[in-house]
Amino acid sequence: MRGFTERDGVAVAELDEDERAVVARIVADVGLLLGGEAFGMHSEPVRPERDEADEIFAHLAGLEDSLTEPDDPAILRLLPNAAPTDREVASEFRRLTEGELRDTKVTRLRKMWEQLSEDGPEWEVERQDAMATAAALTDIRLVLASRLSLDSDEDADRLHTEIQLAEHALDTDAEDDLMVDPERVWLGMLYQALTWLQESLVTFVVSSEEGERNE
Amino acid sequence: MDSQEQLEPEGNVATRLDDAWVTIVWNDPVNLMSYVTHVFQSYFGFTRQAAEARMQEVHENGKSVVSSGGREKMEVDVQAMHGYGLWATMQRSGQ
Repeated sequence: MRGFTERDGVAVAELDEDERAVVARIVADVGLLLGGEAFGMHSEPVRPERDEADEIFAHLAGLEDSLTEPDDPAILRLLPNAAPTDREVASEFRRLTEGELRDTKVTRLRKMWEQLSEDGPEWEVERQDAMATAAALTDIRLVLASRLSLDSDEDADRLHTEIQLAEHALDTDAEDDLMVDPERVWLGMLYQALTWLQESLVTFVVSSEEGERNE
Repeated sequence: MDSQEQLEPEGNVATRLDDAWVTIVWNDPVNLMSYVTHVFQSYFGFTRQAAEARMQEVHENGKSVVSSGGREKMEVDVQAMHGYGLWATMQRSGQ
């Protein structure tokens, strides 16, 4: 994997086939978690003909659903309570914004998934899409962090140490001594790789803006 | 003085909606400092220096007030922050 660097005004990262498959998979999972349709499917068969009334009823059902807080802590982190001390303000906010927020998040995840599903090791992100891609990477990292129970900066530091220990154990063939859950290490490594990719993408955005200012 | 206050008849709903609210961004272990700074700069129009100061405040004190105004305006700001994956809440100022 190679982080994003600038080439002719475009951010370009490199992921090999396995890396692309892993990242595309988690992108699709987060899309599903947010209630999007499975990526890579045509939308026509999933949504058969619907008349206007169906749309309105679906919309109303959506409004009712969105009044309650999501049970899954990962979804709750993506669509947080906007006013923890004021139930009326919180539910009004959720009613007004949740559908649009879900759509925004699913749309940019889908775009990222489509880019990762193209052939070849390069992942190109146009300047005007860079912050949307960085935001999509944030959403994925928030879900992984929730699954990894990263609630504080100390938790994040501890994860880093756990991964280093696990890597050391693997390097020295001391896998049997491994005290950490291999699935946790795997998710943690994915989290770190996405953090690193996002950091390189934000660096690209900041330096391209500085370049514009200096012109 | 806020000129708008003089335009609103006393005691009506519009006056109440114009009460000062604030948007607060809370610390989390996930969001990158560079990303948060850039979001503050591009969304709120802060200078780089002001955006970094707010970001540091979030990181070190656990939270920072990033905007204030009427309730509807704060709903827009909180929604934007949630769009970026930042943990934001709104409340009446002084609470």
